[in-house]
Amino acid sequence: MRAIQSLIVAIVLRVVHAALVELMALDSRVAQEFARMPEGLSYSIRTGHGGPVLHVQWKDGKLHRLADLPLPTCALRIKSMPLSFRLFTGQMGLSQAYARQAFTMGGEVADVMRLARLVNLVESYLFPKVITRRIMTDVPETEVCFLRAYARIALGFLTCKYKLSR
Amino acid sequence: MVPYFEFQNAVKLLCGELSLERIAIELELMGAEKPLMLSDAVLTKIGTLSTVICAMESEGVSPTAVFSDIPVDSSLAVVNQIASFYREQGCDSIVAVGGGSVIDTAKGVRLVLSQNKQDILSLSGLNNLVRGRHVPFIVVPTTAGTGSECTGVAVIRNDDNGVKMEFLSPYVEPDIAVIDPRMTIGLPPKATATTGMDAMVHAIEAYTCQQANPLSSAYATAAIRLLAENVETATRNGKDKQARFSMALASTMAGIAFSNSMVGAVHAIGHALGGVCHVPHAVAMTILLPHVMRYNLSHCRAGYAELLPYLVGMDAAQSVPASERAEAAIEALEKLCRNLANICGIPLTLKDAGVSPDSFAQVAQVAINDGALIVNPRTADENQVIEILKAAY
Repeated sequence: MRAIQSLIVAIVLRVVHAALVELMALDSRVAQEFARMPEGLSYSIRTGHGGPVLHVQWKDGKLHRLADLPLPTCALRIKSMPLSFRLFTGQMGLSQAYARQAFTMGGEVADVMRLARLVNLVESYLFPKVITRRIMTDVPETEVCFLRAYARIALGFLTCKYKLSR
Repeated sequence: MVPYFEFQNAVKLLCGELSLERIAIELELMGAEKPLMLSDAVLTKIGTLSTVICAMESEGVSPTAVFSDIPVDSSLAVVNQIASFYREQGCDSIVAVGGGSVIDTAKGVRLVLSQNKQDILSLSGLNNLVRGRHVPFIVVPTTAGTGSECTGVAVIRNDDNGVKMEFLSPYVEPDIAVIDPRMTIGLPPKATATTGMDAMVHAIEAYTCQQANPLSSAYATAAIRLLAENVETATRNGKDKQARFSMALASTMAGIAFSNSMVGAVHAIGHALGGVCHVPHAVAMTILLPHVMRYNLSHCRAGYAELLPYLVGMDAAQSVPASERAEAAIEALEKLCRNLANICGIPLTLKDAGVSPDSFAQVAQVAINDGALIVNPRTADENQVIEILKAAY
């Protein structure tokens, strides 16, 4: 069971990164968040013990996915794989995860707040409203049809757009 | 899904008369004999600090060093400075005497020392620290409001960007808190009223935010009842020892409540007003509370309605139709604030507090990055924060 959860979490983490990259061009609120993001800000998201990780860094106007990130600005560690699975499969929102103390964080709380706003916007495109209404107190309206976001993400994967940066 | 929650309070409370005289034995029992005393200039001047030191010395413990220059809005630099001072003086424990700023600064100092660091900035985060070296740590609150004596968070200003940073860890909690009625008896009426309302905000937000749990709610409601019953009396007659003691207990209980369930938008916006416009924390809380409650009303009507009996008493609450109790709770709090303003002249609007509308955009930008906002019952973006600020102006 853990292996399956781990695999699904790994896939969703890749999709979340891809969605952030694409929504930067599609959604003005996502674009504004990145425009205000300090150059070099980086996030490391670890899931459970030895689970999949996502390292990203905002640099030169792009959100780079990195193989490793020794000193992230903001290091999130989700406390277990079942919690990670719930978080990344629309069963628990980021604010709910915070309220249930599902993760630890090294860095500034302000950077988690930036991420929470971005994740809420991503989830509003990736998940149907029947799910987002359960995991968010207020669901943001999408600015474009969610199918456009999905189409751009699919095209991005087909063209290897989201490969690791060096 | 069965809800999950965590609850922690490891602080030993010494409550009631002659508590101060027990500090010496408590230090001895923790293996400490060279305490660093921390306080501020006002408490030094009016003799509050010397009352505590005399009580300690009467039982055989003298401070090894005293740092009494902690500013009202303390900063990361002050924390680092005091940690260096502690090391230079060869101290082995901390006794902090003061309100929220002194206690939160002391928590930061304790964190730096126990984690063996030089700069507190390297320790920011959320429950991510390992237990460090034990530095015996006693706090003596001199206001009945912050509840900081029992919370796992230290809020300290970063002078570089004016932001109040939160350091969340169970290891910032003191070992012992001393709730002695002598410490708040001389608190001026305005400070009594606003710090009392600060405690009220802690309890109300603890009860209604997303992280609320059965244990934190029990502490929150008990605190609200005590505060509603005593804040006017304590403000009008500061010498009323029973009212003072009830306020101090309520503040501590509200602190335990919100330490385990977080706060909400009142604090997020209040922290930003403090950081950007230097509005004292308790004043900001008093002004913002009813406006944020009205903003949140659509999302926590039931929670506010449940608080009415604790605010006005069971009989009065039952006379209000169930569908109107949430609004009645907000109105009861507005009336309480007006009564306090009539007694001692506290500001009830941001205009009266000297805030310029020109700063609203900057305040909103800071507020949406405050951790307290994440568990508020209703999401708030920059525009919505600005609307709340306008309503409070």
